[in-house]
Amino acid sequence: MIRRLLQGIVVIFFVSIATFGILQLAPGSPIDVMVGEAQVTQEQIALIEAKWGLDKPWYVQYFRWMGNMLKGDFGQSIVRTGVPVSTMLRDAASVTIRLNLIALVISTAIAVPVGIIAAVKRNSLFDYVASIGSTIGIALPSFWISLMLIILFSLKLGWLPASGSQSWKNYIMPVMVLALQETALVARLARGSTLEILRQDFVTTARSKGLMERVVVSRHVVRNAMLPVVTVIGLRLAFLMSGTIIVETIFAWPGVGRLFIDSIFRLDYQVIQAIVLLSSIIVVVMNILTDLAYAYIDPRIRVR
Amino acid sequence: MATTQPETSALSRATVFDDRQTQRRSELSRSWRRFKRYRPGVAGGIVIILLVIMAVFAPILAPYSPTEVNTRRLGEGPSWSHPLGFDGIGRDILSRTIYGARVALMVGIISTVIAITIGVLVGATAGYFGGWVDSLLSRITDTLMAFPLLVLLVTLAAVFSPSLKTVIVVIGVTVWASYARIVRADVLSLRERDFVMAARAAGANDIRIILRHVVPNVLGPVIVIATLGIGGIIILEAALSFLGLGVQPPTPSWGGDLSSARQFIRIYPHMAIAPGMMIVITVLAFNLLGDGLRDALDPRQRE
Amino acid sequence: MLDSMSRISGIMNLVQPVTRRQFLKRATAIGVSVPAFASLLAACGGDDDDEPTPVPPTPTQGSVPTPGPSGGATPTSAPEPTATTAAAATPTSGGGAAPTATTAAPAPTATPAGEQPVMGGVLVTQGHQEIASLHPDDAGPYVHYVIVRNIHEPLVDLDIDYAFIPVLAASYEAAEDALSYTFTIHDGITFHDGEPLTSADIKYNFDWYRDPANAAVLATDYANVADVVIEDELTVTVKMSAIDAAFLANVTGLLIVPEHIHSVTGKDNYSPQATGTGPFKLKEWKAAEYTTLSKYVDYWQGEPYLDEFREDIIPEGSVRAVRLETGEADNSVWPLQAQDNLRFINELSDQFDVNRAPGTAVNHFPLNNEKPALADKVVRQAMLYATDRDSLINDLEKGLSVKAHSGYSPAVQFYYNDDVKKYDYDPEMAKKLLDDAGYVPGSDGIREKDGVRLSFTCTVITGDQRRRPEAEVVQQNLLAVGIDMQIQEAPVATILEQLMAGEMDASLFNWTYGTSEPDCRSVFRSDGARNFSHYKNPVMDELVDAGVATIVPEERQQIYKDIQALTAEDAIFLYVQFWEDIQIWNKRIKGRPAQANNPAAVYPLIWTFWKDES
Repeated sequence: MIRRLLQGIVVIFFVSIATFGILQLAPGSPIDVMVGEAQVTQEQIALIEAKWGLDKPWYVQYFRWMGNMLKGDFGQSIVRTGVPVSTMLRDAASVTIRLNLIALVISTAIAVPVGIIAAVKRNSLFDYVASIGSTIGIALPSFWISLMLIILFSLKLGWLPASGSQSWKNYIMPVMVLALQETALVARLARGSTLEILRQDFVTTARSKGLMERVVVSRHVVRNAMLPVVTVIGLRLAFLMSGTIIVETIFAWPGVGRLFIDSIFRLDYQVIQAIVLLSSIIVVVMNILTDLAYAYIDPRIRVR
Repeated sequence: MATTQPETSALSRATVFDDRQTQRRSELSRSWRRFKRYRPGVAGGIVIILLVIMAVFAPILAPYSPTEVNTRRLGEGPSWSHPLGFDGIGRDILSRTIYGARVALMVGIISTVIAITIGVLVGATAGYFGGWVDSLLSRITDTLMAFPLLVLLVTLAAVFSPSLKTVIVVIGVTVWASYARIVRADVLSLRERDFVMAARAAGANDIRIILRHVVPNVLGPVIVIATLGIGGIIILEAALSFLGLGVQPPTPSWGGDLSSARQFIRIYPHMAIAPGMMIVITVLAFNLLGDGLRDALDPRQRE
Repeated sequence: MLDSMSRISGIMNLVQPVTRRQFLKRATAIGVSVPAFASLLAACGGDDDDEPTPVPPTPTQGSVPTPGPSGGATPTSAPEPTATTAAAATPTSGGGAAPTATTAAPAPTATPAGEQPVMGGVLVTQGHQEIASLHPDDAGPYVHYVIVRNIHEPLVDLDIDYAFIPVLAASYEAAEDALSYTFTIHDGITFHDGEPLTSADIKYNFDWYRDPANAAVLATDYANVADVVIEDELTVTVKMSAIDAAFLANVTGLLIVPEHIHSVTGKDNYSPQATGTGPFKLKEWKAAEYTTLSKYVDYWQGEPYLDEFREDIIPEGSVRAVRLETGEADNSVWPLQAQDNLRFINELSDQFDVNRAPGTAVNHFPLNNEKPALADKVVRQAMLYATDRDSLINDLEKGLSVKAHSGYSPAVQFYYNDDVKKYDYDPEMAKKLLDDAGYVPGSDGIREKDGVRLSFTCTVITGDQRRRPEAEVVQQNLLAVGIDMQIQEAPVATILEQLMAGEMDASLFNWTYGTSEPDCRSVFRSDGARNFSHYKNPVMDELVDAGVATIVPEERQQIYKDIQALTAEDAIFLYVQFWEDIQIWNKRIKGRPAQANNPAAVYPLIWTFWKDES
């Protein structure tokens, strides 16, 4: 386990360097956005750059930032002044996590049973409907569904507010959109992996031992079928940090996804770096947890 | 229901003792028979063939030029001469939709092939060898996956000039990590299985074992993911259109057309229907085909 | 997995550099033929019309021309003094001649007479992008400005007809040589924390922007200020090092912050405790979600009717339209899509008022004049002939737009020059020009001459739903005459930098080349920091410098007319149109001016609005 942790740290280090390198390749400077249409001179732009340390070579910027990070200081946003990046991130993350956890819980609760039943009752009407339904769920672009929901529920029916995050009513539409895709994806995977397991020898053996189908399914199949599902859920949790940009944008939820996209377009380095680094940490942690979950579910794998 | 499956498996196991030639031929025909049994899979295959025909013969099938602009008629709804109406700047939607199949299929299939190739090789190698090879490859995979794709894409958009080729390559080299991870996880458990042990005991070399025994055995899950993946990539192509990394105008693409329909969604809702439907149909077709193929090709039925 | 990548497609943030600095820069536009400050003086000292204005609640300061239409009455009716006479005629600063709040002609408000204002309620407007800062130095973006300007106030401002009106200044005067300005502020103004506003605060604000160590965005605005001298508790004199005709227009952007707070926080930590003298004070700042202001009960011009003023951040245009329609919001600072606007104008006019005003930022394709394919004036002229701008305006913009004949808007009446070379849609003429100049079509139909192929790339702003269709139409227009324009997308920060670095051929966005304050040095000088087209012409350099070296209006007028003629003759860039500025209000918001030619000036009046919930 300690080795895994060390490996994780190595990954995070690589990510931080790669982030810096790539951002250096990206042309453009946040100063141009800040200045806007103000009458400025080139000297003045240089002056503002110097103030933010953007005139230094990237490795100097990198080490200064890394040093601060190790001290727990994420720095200041070049665009949103007066608020530490850590505060911005905390606010945004709470929004994103709230939204996504609800969607994830709902979708897992629906998708796993649906997937397993569809696999066990293979080629039944239920299976077909579930398969086609989940495919459509994946294929529908989320911005399209989101706008359609808003037109229906906010404009035509007047039941739900079009945006915001103040009341429980605000959760309904974004959660619907997120959960639809999540459910579709997880259900497909659950069905696929259940089918795999159903064909394996130990299931056949269990059946031939005369065990009741229900017992076979619940004791052997479900457990094993959870492997890929756990992977996917782990990955989804990890991706919470880079967020659910479309949904956050359309429903005006000030989450991490939107913060990230805004920052990219303004080249707000401090924020981009902090989000990248934190999300990489989460991914690494999730990977370790996923491996542990594998070992727990499938004892044939030993965690080294 | 599912009880027919073990029988088939048992049957196919028996063929191991046939000689190679017969085995391959019978395997193929058996696969084909199995594939035919799954009707939705056949339907998906037919739809994809139709899409390919549409893409290849687009210049013949399309009634108008996909790029010709007639701003005076922009946003006009369906009519006899223009069955799907006009888009937001006055181009014939039917013609654009037909031509759009070209981009969708090229992007979806080629980049998935790139991703699968890299992903399966990396994943299988890592899972099979374990040790430092696994550590290194897994670290690379992790790093790629830990990276917010967007930073990568925006940067790539800035560094390379966006084109169809860029889109295909960029998607291919950025999405392989998920294949690698799932393949590795599968190989981890496969490695301990009897048939791999047996092959190793029989003195087969590693590359041979990976290619002959391990890779075919992980193709099942890979196909599941790839079929979803092609759909995902077709949707991703729409995403890239927003990002400015997409296929550049005036080339018609469903993703691009759908995203430009977004701003007109309240006044010209017909604009979003054709490209949206095509995306859904295509994704559905690939998924059904994938299901069918899995039944037909699943290695665990072949051993 | 793959699917999660599809989520990234949300680049809906239209970063549009129609940026709103223009609103801070606008000066006397409509029908004003007096120097900026002279007209202001007229406003200050002028009319003694006693008609009561129906709008402002309990004005506490008699000498304040209220926001609202007051200023509007002045410019056109005022005599037209020259700069010198105006300066000489300086009205008794702070004296009894200062008009009362009831100066103006009857205000044409959108509210029928006789309706009684009601207290309370929340006015909700909408922006598209987070309010990243509450510091006046960052108030350029319109979405910021409406909030920052309601917290803070300037010495002088522009009213809804682009006339100067004094705000914090009770009066001010310019010296005859235009090398010094004296401002006298009202007595008894307090910041939101109760501290009084003094001349020391005014000096502090000027000095802060001028200090290079602060690297202020607006520093250049005060580059010609030599010194600021405190005369007494309420009076400061600004000494100029050179005549700067744009100075007073720039002062409208000097939103006064309190020295006792700002000197501690500096710019970087100021936003969370933004404090000013304005009608609303900061209640809650959630940059990406909403910003709420609550009324400042002791506001020096009287207590606002509304309890709160809030701006919600809604990135997606269609959603802003839906929220407006359902009544979740009362207004949208950031414009809606053209098609949605049309719906409010045509179908929903019983619930909404629409204020239409001509825009001043030109919608244009900057063309890098140093790229071989774009270097030849004839090619650029042919491009203007080849572009079907009438179709763009009538079909794409649904007529809510005005054709451009240079970088200056017809809205800038005084400086506008209609007598320039015009390029009406004429593809045959374009072909003829190119043929005559020796550009012959190659095998693929694209013209070339001496190895120079008429092919270039136009980089549009990523996710720009409004302008990208325009680029696609122009692409086809140009192709029809043998010019190949590729389209690419890039984030706005990239475009602004690479265009200036000469790494891009062309782009498409809106930019203010000159408004009622027509100074255009940064965009037309050879070394201008915003000379996107890389246009280098000594004649132009002389003109733009001369334009700010005099404050005599007729002289300036001629200079800027010459600049427009030169712009058109050299076809410096591909100018297309001026979008109309469309401001939509829910009718339940009462007390609004009926028509504002300067839409930005409506937001500082919010304290005089009330909400009729019935």
